[in-house]
Amino acid sequence: MTQPRKFARWLIVLLMLHGIVAAAGFFAPYDPVEQDRERPYLPPMRVHLMDARGHLHLRPFFYPLRLRAGSFDQYEEDTATAVPLRFFERAAAYHLFGFVPSHLHLFGASGTRIYLLGTDTYGRDQLSRILYGGQVSLLAGLLGAGVTLFLGALIGMAAGYFGGWRDDLLMRIAELFLALPWLYLLFALRAFLPLAVSPLEAFLLVVIVIGMVGWARPARLVRGVVLSVKERDFVRAARGFGASDVYLLRRHILPETASVLLTQAAILVPQFVLAEMTLSFLGLGVPEPMSSWGNLLAALQQYNVLVSYWWMYLPALAIVPFFLGYLGLASALQQRTSPYKIEEKSSWSPS
Amino acid sequence: MQPLLRVENLVKLYAAGRSASSKDKLTALDGVSLSIPSGETLALVGESGSGKSTLALCIACLEPPTSGSVWFEGIDAAALGENQQCLLRPQIQLVFQDPASSLNPRWTALDIVSEPFLVQGRFTKPDRAVRALQLLDLVAIPRKMAARRADELSGGQKQRLAIARALALEPKLLILDEALSALDCSVQAQISNLLLDLQSSLGLTYLFITHDFAIAAHMADQIAVMYQGRIVESGPSEKILSSPNHEATRSLMAATPRFIETPGVLVHF
Amino acid sequence: MRYFIRRALHAVFLLFGVSLLTFLFSALTPGNYFDEMRLNPQISPDTVAALRSQYQLDRPLPVRYAHWLNAVVHGQLGFSFTYNGPVAPLLWARARNTLLLTITATLLAWLVALPLGVWSAARFGRAPDRVLSWTTATLLVVPDLVLALGLLILAVRTGWFPTGGLVSVGFDELSVSHKLRDIALHMTLPVVSLVLATLPMLVRHVRASVADVLDAPFLRAAAGHGIPQRKLLYRYALRAAANPLISLFGFSVGTLLSGSLLVEVVMSWPGLGPLLLESILARDLYVVIGGVLLSMLFLVGGNLFADILLYLADPRIRTAASAK
Repeated sequence: MTQPRKFARWLIVLLMLHGIVAAAGFFAPYDPVEQDRERPYLPPMRVHLMDARGHLHLRPFFYPLRLRAGSFDQYEEDTATAVPLRFFERAAAYHLFGFVPSHLHLFGASGTRIYLLGTDTYGRDQLSRILYGGQVSLLAGLLGAGVTLFLGALIGMAAGYFGGWRDDLLMRIAELFLALPWLYLLFALRAFLPLAVSPLEAFLLVVIVIGMVGWARPARLVRGVVLSVKERDFVRAARGFGASDVYLLRRHILPETASVLLTQAAILVPQFVLAEMTLSFLGLGVPEPMSSWGNLLAALQQYNVLVSYWWMYLPALAIVPFFLGYLGLASALQQRTSPYKIEEKSSWSPS
Repeated sequence: MQPLLRVENLVKLYAAGRSASSKDKLTALDGVSLSIPSGETLALVGESGSGKSTLALCIACLEPPTSGSVWFEGIDAAALGENQQCLLRPQIQLVFQDPASSLNPRWTALDIVSEPFLVQGRFTKPDRAVRALQLLDLVAIPRKMAARRADELSGGQKQRLAIARALALEPKLLILDEALSALDCSVQAQISNLLLDLQSSLGLTYLFITHDFAIAAHMADQIAVMYQGRIVESGPSEKILSSPNHEATRSLMAATPRFIETPGVLVHF
Repeated sequence: MRYFIRRALHAVFLLFGVSLLTFLFSALTPGNYFDEMRLNPQISPDTVAALRSQYQLDRPLPVRYAHWLNAVVHGQLGFSFTYNGPVAPLLWARARNTLLLTITATLLAWLVALPLGVWSAARFGRAPDRVLSWTTATLLVVPDLVLALGLLILAVRTGWFPTGGLVSVGFDELSVSHKLRDIALHMTLPVVSLVLATLPMLVRHVRASVADVLDAPFLRAAAGHGIPQRKLLYRYALRAAANPLISLFGFSVGTLLSGSLLVEVVMSWPGLGPLLLESILARDLYVVIGGVLLSMLFLVGGNLFADILLYLADPRIRTAASAK
């Protein structure tokens, strides 16, 4: 497959995935903070086409779960009542993309509730929480990558363009950051910032911290580009017309760094989403009641959850398709720039 | 009448190592002096590494000389401060050897030619486009190529574009650093003729840097031969071509295959 | 010799840099740690006062740094408020466990990656190679956290492996061989998790490096001499491909440290990871700084080890170093 097509294919996949998460309100049947105290830790409900008597139905349906007689945490299907699954259901209000008010949900059930992925300790629908949580995690990853690339480009351009002792100093510091294990850096940075903050502040803090960890590699790459472009004659010619440094950087040098920055973006975003997940999982990131993939997984730190409630693991799998998409995109981009290398050494390691 | 350009004892040293105080310094220019009267062409001939390009950069005020002076219309250009140099620079323009590197390949021909206006902040946007198209006419590039990207043009067209760009700010002195060397023979002939036409119609002064004596013979009123950072021989073209003194001159002439010297009659091209 | 001095200096520079960074972070944090400490009922006011004077919080920054550096060099890593004792012994005990985990995982990962990569490179482009490529690609797509948690759930539901801790209850009463078995059992999950996290990248790099080398004329000449395939692959090809792989090893020490931190926390392995985390949450400053420094020491040690290996393995570096 030719390179532009591969790139386009992965881009479409990623856009679709992001689109689903962005339109979480539509795809999620319920509000993520809505609690159902009567039904904590409900296992995922199964959707059937064939009922208990062997009849095939055209409309998919499910059986509500009820407590097994004599048990207080074992559920079984109540095969007496079949509740049909309705599509494009009007249910709880929400704001699509944050500002379009709507009542429309992809699916739902009137009267009773369907929990496709089970519930947590407060009876909150896991599917909805995963979808909304994805918004937080993905946004953190994207913004964090933005911060890193901005920092990296700035420092790389300064180091490459001005050279001399500034270049030496900046690259030494970059070496330091590059050598340190990212998680330690993340921890150290997060540790020394206030712990008990509001969810929004926590989110911003996470973004900033993540963003400040990874600038070294983009900076080095940008510096390399700047060094080679700086000596090109068209830069000399522009200087001959009286162009200022800022003009040269902005109109000639910066555009050349675009491909490097794009490739780095494809590599960094998933790593940063993972970083947010790790921080939140360990309690250093986004706190409740805001859901993120990381703090959804935090429940697994309790032993009883680990043993009995396996569906609480599902948020972890949510990131896998995104990783796949970004990895494919990065690989397509890299093949475009260096088609003959078998392996790009700096391509894929969380550091 | 004073010459347009007069270079006096120009010395340029480069530090060979990474640190500025490295002991090994590379002497690119070792006391170069020359002068060009207005409206004439001086061909600077020398082998690679003789310091020609360094000289070009110093004269164009793109590199500061270590010592010596560059007199342009009676003003010592090298001694000026940064701001004043900026005012002087439009009068001295460079055309480089490799148009693939001297033109930003992603830019369109129109943007490239109007860049000098943009940088200098002259004219409104539509005005810039009009003048840019006029410049394209001047160098015989069809107007329909104006919207094409630079990497879509042929070698000859690219070099014409570079010349057009250099003429945008109406310079008095044009320094052509091996401007024809990367082109095919036939294209070389076209462009050198274009340059001669432009010189007579616009009253330009050329400093023509080359390693090829044939081109020098065709284009120049005066020839200066450069060897290892110094001018070893200079004078009117006919004199240098008919009776070269320095052995560097002679070896350069011998190295130009198309240049056949017969006593009294010069056959070239 | 010059080469080592240079690398050692580089390592020292790294440590200095880290210590400076960590110290700066702690010093620049808004709010005084001792103010927070005073609010903490676990710590007596006398301790606070004593610590304040000991750590000279009123002095300017460079003086504090120098003082702190001096203390560190003497092995005094500070005082832990949650554990109510000096930091250093606390760290050593945990560090031992972390080393046990990371060294085992590294050895295992490389022991598996090398043959797999070589085998794959020898069958480059053919079916077995492609299957392996697909497997590594799939593993790469699954992040460490997901992998570790998944393994944990697997273990819990099957009951095959103990989940958490270094040893079981009643460890002391076991015989030596049973003790070893107990530790090994506890170690299995974390080690497998770490290995699975690092293996795909390693295999890919080994495969790429060896494949690059397999094209070289000197190998074909050797093959023409009738040298058997296996010897060819391991003694000739792998040797030639060693240089980038050793660099990779040095590079991967950092990622391994990060990975081990996460795995230890998830799997409740009593190493530096959980200690660091709980100290951060408890704002136990000196444990955090000490822990970070110790990990950096491992990092630097690992890199230095890689440098030594490189020196021994690549004659070009030896000649370049001696020529200087």
